[in-house]
Amino acid sequence: MEHNDRKDGRDSKFEQDDLAEFEQKLRFALQHRTAPMGMKARVLATARERRRQKQHGWQWMVQRVAASVVIAAIAGGAVAYHQIEERRKGEAAREQVMLALKITNKTLNRVNERLTDDNQ
Amino acid sequence: MKSIWVWVGALALGIAGAVSAYGQDSLPAPSPIEKTLAARATHTTEVTLDKNMLAFAAKFMDDKDGDKDDKQVKEMIQNLKGVYVREYEFDKDHSYTSDEVDGLRKYFESSDWSPMVHERTKGIAEGTDVYLKIVGGQLQGLFVLDAEARQLSLVLILGPIDLDKISALGGNFGIPKDAVKKAQKEVRK
Repeated sequence: MEHNDRKDGRDSKFEQDDLAEFEQKLRFALQHRTAPMGMKARVLATARERRRQKQHGWQWMVQRVAASVVIAAIAGGAVAYHQIEERRKGEAAREQVMLALKITNKTLNRVNERLTDDNQ
Repeated sequence: MKSIWVWVGALALGIAGAVSAYGQDSLPAPSPIEKTLAARATHTTEVTLDKNMLAFAAKFMDDKDGDKDDKQVKEMIQNLKGVYVREYEFDKDHSYTSDEVDGLRKYFESSDWSPMVHERTKGIAEGTDVYLKIVGGQLQGLFVLDAEARQLSLVLILGPIDLDKISALGGNFGIPKDAVKKAQKEVRK
């Protein structure tokens, strides 16, 4: 009986020691400590950077799409302009050929008339 | 050393030959007389179309639209090497001299050209010249200089001219068939 009482007393002492150690650790953990110099600024800067990167990703994509659209529009416009200009020049050349042929035919007609008159 | 000179000589001959061959097929530079004529004329028409320009124009003469004239003209100009046309209209009779007409004729005349028609009216600066360039029995050029009282026309066509095609165009473009027949006879001679 006495033996059992002694054993219970020992267990209780161990528990108290454990509790005291835990309390000490807890106290130490909860102890107010001053943040290192510039910690707040660094945290805020990191958060700002993350936010900026997130926004920048979207902006970059939008910019790329917009740039592609602009480049495609410029290229398309250039091709269309080139085709229109080519067509215009071609039509002008065609008109020149027709004019040259008209003058040629007119001149040949006159030559023919002149020669016919001379023969008569 | 001697062989170098032989090589240099051969190269020079080659270049001269190439330049001369190019010169025969290319359109001539405008004659200085043309400037003075244009200054006096009330209306001037100048058309100069080299081989590239003719080929370019031919591309825009498609037969998709079913235009018969376009198709015929395309066939005709496709192989031409150049077309040079000048037409001067004056408000007064004989605003040019016989020397100017002869100067123009001589400017375009070369050994390759055979005279077909040479007609002059005595005392006045009027006349007609028709030259044909015949190479290997084929018509390779046509030169016409027609000097009327108030009009002076000059036509130079370089390249293979198919008289049958021109004849076929006669109905559409007013090329007199008699003139073509005469030319054909000349060529066959």
